[in-house]
Amino acid sequence: MAGNGRDQFARAAANIRGMKTILQIEDNHANRLLVERVFEKMPEYRLIQASDGESGVGLALDERPDLILVDMGLPDIDGQTVVTLIRQIPELKNTPVVAITAWPEDKAQEIAARYGCDGCITKPIDIRTFPTQIAQFLYGNP
Amino acid sequence: MEILSADRFTFEELTEAYNQTRVDYMVPMPMNVAKLREYVRVYDVSLVHSAVAVGDELMLGLGMLGVREDRGWITRLGVLPYGRRLGIGTTLMTGLTEQAVTHKLSQIWLEVIKGNEPAHRLFHRFGFVETRELIIARRPPLADNLPPPCEIDRVTTLDHEEAIILLSHRAKRANWLNETETMQNVHNLSGLLIETSDGGRGWVTYHAGLLQLTRIIVEVVAGDPANVTATVLHVLHQRHKRQDAIAENVSDDEQWPGYERAGYFDSFRRIEMVKDVKF
Repeated sequence: MAGNGRDQFARAAANIRGMKTILQIEDNHANRLLVERVFEKMPEYRLIQASDGESGVGLALDERPDLILVDMGLPDIDGQTVVTLIRQIPELKNTPVVAITAWPEDKAQEIAARYGCDGCITKPIDIRTFPTQIAQFLYGNP
Repeated sequence: MEILSADRFTFEELTEAYNQTRVDYMVPMPMNVAKLREYVRVYDVSLVHSAVAVGDELMLGLGMLGVREDRGWITRLGVLPYGRRLGIGTTLMTGLTEQAVTHKLSQIWLEVIKGNEPAHRLFHRFGFVETRELIIARRPPLADNLPPPCEIDRVTTLDHEEAIILLSHRAKRANWLNETETMQNVHNLSGLLIETSDGGRGWVTYHAGLLQLTRIIVEVVAGDPANVTATVLHVLHQRHKRQDAIAENVSDDEQWPGYERAGYFDSFRRIEMVKDVKF
């Protein structure tokens, strides 16, 4: 999942094609796989993934994604602190960040807002509405 | 199914199993191996007295027991998704409480996340009773830090040893996570003693990491509890502007409004419970 020469090539190719890069920071393998499956059917997006907070922030710096999805429960640095860090890094501070959490909707909204996220998606992810949610976070409401 | 002591497993195996037990929790709090090692060390968890449920060579669940003198603390109890509804939680609790009796512990403590009704019912069945509600409070670094309600007269910085001395003289009983024994196991605590011009006096001890302020404990010695708490925290966050702050297991008492005024919010709650052990 870390960046290498092949990833740099993929990023350059994605930029040429006008694809949007989405970074998912999620420790749970099944949840990463689910999002991977959703994005397989969406050629306009390029998905990159990290399984913990530290590598996620590193990947964000390397790849400068258009949108970051952060699971709030991560094994090394928790999601809130990851968002705090992203918001303090000049190269990333304006990147839209979406909190992914199993909190009840109202609590999820509160935590996301307090930490300066652009929104939140509650688990379990609904694969029917997920693509629309992603588009809204990237392009706003039509 | 059999119950084995947790010291028969590697930290890698225990971490993987623990994370699986929490995979569908509202507050999953996953750990990596380093975090679990730290957890075991800081909270005096005895792996010899901790239990792992195993069936068909698969780990089905686990529960850990912290031991301090004659007190025990049950933590990290959970059942893996494929082991649920088989009575494994009950079996683990039976094993852990038997360990407490064997080792002549007089009390066992635990916390359950508020809203986790199945676990809460399980602990009731084992005779645990509620003692209080505890708040897991967070404060993002960009939170509004309102002016201190009290004028600050003097601030004294404290080193680790001085912080431990203050912690050991607290008026209120601390939760296991915040007991002096815990803090003695944490390296590099810092502290601030604040005196206000209206006679208020309070202190905060904390651990300042690169990204997070943790182990935050505030005690008010004199003055209005909320005002002095807010003032003490204001000084702390003026000195540590960039870190995300976590105050774990804060009592919902007269000090809590002071936390809120300093930008903290209630992220979730735990219910503390205790059981007296009869030999």
